[in-house]
Amino acid sequence: MRSMEEARIGVYVCWCGNNIAKMVDVELVTELIGKLPHVVVSKNYKYMCSDPGQELIAEDILEHNLNRVVVAACSPRIHELTFRKVLEKSGLNPYLFEMANIREQDSWVHDNREAATRKAVELVAGAISRVQYHEPLDKRSVGINPATLVIGGGVAGMSAALEVANAGREVYLLEKTEQLGGMVSHFDLTFPYLYDADKMLEVMIRRTINHPHIKVFYNTTISEVHGYIGNFETTIQSDSNQEQTLTFGNIIVATGLRPFDASRVGQYGYGRLPNVITSVEFEDLLRTGQVRTKEGNIPQNIAIIHCVGSRNTEFHEYCSRTCCQVALKFANQLRSLLPDSNIYDLYADMRAFGKGCEELYTATSKKEIIFMMFDQQHELPQIIKSVAPGDPPMLIFFREKISGLGLEIPADMIILMVGMEAHPDVKDIAHAVGISICSNAFFIEKHPKLDPVATTTSGVYIVGNCQGPKGIPDSVAQAKAAAARVLATINQGSVHVEVTTAEVNETLCCGCQTCIMVCPYTAIHYDREKKVSVVNEVLCKGCGTCGSTCPTGAIRSKHFTDQQILSQIDGLMKMALKIE
Amino acid sequence: MKEETSQKPKLKLAVYWGAACGGCCVSVLDVHEKLLDVIAAADLVFWPIALDIKYKDVEAMPDKYIDVTLFNGAVRNSENEHIAKLLRQKSKVLVAYGSCAHMGGIPGLANFTTKEAIFKRVYEESESTVNPDKIFPQTHFDVDEGTLELPTFYNDVRSLNQVVDVDYYLPGCPPQSERLLEVFTLIATGAPLPPAGSVVGASEKTQCDECKRTKTENKKVKRFYRPIDIKDDGVTCFLEQGVICMGPSTRAGCGVRCIVGNAPCRGCYGPSEAASDPGAKMLSAIATMIDSNNEKEIEKVVETIDDPAGTFYRFSLPSSIIRRTIV
Repeated sequence: MRSMEEARIGVYVCWCGNNIAKMVDVELVTELIGKLPHVVVSKNYKYMCSDPGQELIAEDILEHNLNRVVVAACSPRIHELTFRKVLEKSGLNPYLFEMANIREQDSWVHDNREAATRKAVELVAGAISRVQYHEPLDKRSVGINPATLVIGGGVAGMSAALEVANAGREVYLLEKTEQLGGMVSHFDLTFPYLYDADKMLEVMIRRTINHPHIKVFYNTTISEVHGYIGNFETTIQSDSNQEQTLTFGNIIVATGLRPFDASRVGQYGYGRLPNVITSVEFEDLLRTGQVRTKEGNIPQNIAIIHCVGSRNTEFHEYCSRTCCQVALKFANQLRSLLPDSNIYDLYADMRAFGKGCEELYTATSKKEIIFMMFDQQHELPQIIKSVAPGDPPMLIFFREKISGLGLEIPADMIILMVGMEAHPDVKDIAHAVGISICSNAFFIEKHPKLDPVATTTSGVYIVGNCQGPKGIPDSVAQAKAAAARVLATINQGSVHVEVTTAEVNETLCCGCQTCIMVCPYTAIHYDREKKVSVVNEVLCKGCGTCGSTCPTGAIRSKHFTDQQILSQIDGLMKMALKIE
Repeated sequence: MKEETSQKPKLKLAVYWGAACGGCCVSVLDVHEKLLDVIAAADLVFWPIALDIKYKDVEAMPDKYIDVTLFNGAVRNSENEHIAKLLRQKSKVLVAYGSCAHMGGIPGLANFTTKEAIFKRVYEESESTVNPDKIFPQTHFDVDEGTLELPTFYNDVRSLNQVVDVDYYLPGCPPQSERLLEVFTLIATGAPLPPAGSVVGASEKTQCDECKRTKTENKKVKRFYRPIDIKDDGVTCFLEQGVICMGPSTRAGCGVRCIVGNAPCRGCYGPSEAASDPGAKMLSAIATMIDSNNEKEIEKVVETIDDPAGTFYRFSLPSSIIRRTIV
């Protein structure tokens, strides 16, 4: 046991407006917690994270000579850093702080105020018990490798690469296919201004491959990235099985996504009916300059069906955001190419948001396009192959939602506006770079509003469609935002890194080497002379696996020691028993 | 028992057994002729296994009268608890002597069951028992001469420090007599003592540190074996041969006696200072050794561990995090 000074703890219970206060009796929590030993002050406040809230803590630290602080508020993922900084500014080591999550783990998930209040008291008691065993930890900073790894050579990846490279920094751009361009290389024109996609892309690709600071790796995949912000390392593999080790300081993930598999919507007949094609295939058709049916005929009746695979819980609940605009673009292009054709646009909701897009809708609606609405949730259109001689080859049956009429539409060609979905290999990428994926298999940003391109892994950024479906302007904006973040980090020259690493007590270590086997970051090696395990703090991410498997107890996970965790459980359980 | 030549007043020494097998008391005798040195330096004021001194004699002693008490055995019944508290009151230094007092020991494995189940087995079901009237031990029984009393049998077995404050722990099942002598000599010579709460008579390091067998990181096991199932090569780490050895999570101090005798360490010396729960520690270490990523296969490998609870918690169940089964 390490010697401890007498703990003087300040406890602050946050209302989070009504988020916590509605379900938790913060006054009662404050009162009960205030009676615990070592608690010198116990207060509650409407928003602890606000400036006055932070000021409250800072003043108390000075006035009451506090040496430990507990804040009961939201998830530490959101504000732990905020409060650690308050301690630091007030002259306390930032690690003498503990947060009790009474929002995500309490008020948001319960509907019984009394029980939720009791749980809050228990969680705070656990934090109080734990914080007494916290030890001051020293910040470590490391130099930044100025090179950047960009994964994915689509528009987002190239934009990010160019932005970083234009600032004079090295970029490694990894592309898993044999060419750059990503999904946009399939596009004919872009919306809403109907510019040529190729022209835009060509310029971008040329700049990328000719850039002196960008090295492009084609047909290349990545298995695992080691290290941390400023000092990453990985071995990349080309399809010819050639390996190369790269080192870099930041990672921008721009792996994009893929079109929805339209054959999953059975009633649309994709795969069975040759003239039912996806929007991606139609782009390719447009690029040939000639729109023809599979039989080589000029189609007279063309239908466009929206929301294929999107906004339907059977497939994907989310909106793919771009399909409506692409459909409007198609209608325009079709009208120009086939002035005499009948064009039917079957939409679920027209979502022509964004700059210039509503205008595109208005302009398109004046071009004799027949817009009709269907019920995406309850009654998808049905496509059948007609059998009567003389009929058009396909018929679409559906109930028009506004009029309520059952309609039957003839079609020679049907374009399915397929949504976007994550690549099947997102899990591999997520594992390789150490980031999380949401239930829709998109990468999760650090904060949806305040930090939309960063991830919870420092030095790893997500841009473009791998973060969620979006159009070119948004992808490029994200790419440039991430590039700015990367350049800012490089410019600082060094960053503070994880201090909650593992440490080996060399007196106690018996050299059994169990830790070496379990370390996911290959951060431990065996010192044959000393006959002990040695942790490389540069590689250690503080995951704690070695600490829990070390049979001797020689490995301590700093800030997650057995004593700290057990005392937290102890404090929580004792309070639970006391309340009962 | 006065020693005329002694300059210093003789130490007053007590030895007591709680729930114990007697081995600890025998280990005191195992100092052989050195016992004479012990007696030269100390008066034995209480030692039920060897001397006829009654509880009431101890009760009559002034507080802190005894210099050192070696308390062996776990606390299993009200008698053990009463004497533990009495000796705490009467002793300057109280030593938890041996695995049972230290961590609960072998008797502590009874925490995997209950008092009721134990009574049923012992007084009703055991093969050698004939008890058609189902008479179980009573704490009080009236006879013509008065009331007879028996201690209350508790549901839980506890280590000594779960009942009273303990100054030092001398681990082992039983402690090595040499270690006892070293500690005794230290106390007798008035040398500075380690801080209260320390484990004495043992190393800071673990068994593996003294073990001469070869160890590599190659601890990958497709099944576990009991020592009798394999032909031990006498050289390779037991764990690497698939035999569970508690060595990595057990304090050294015994001279790796089991391992030297080609038997895996059973863990009687308890955890190192940094590990609170050697059973849990060893379980997580063992979990990493299983050479499979397939859940079903892992289950099969785990099933090859014979008596896991008794293996990992053989000496430490009452003082472990799990402490006992839920009743």
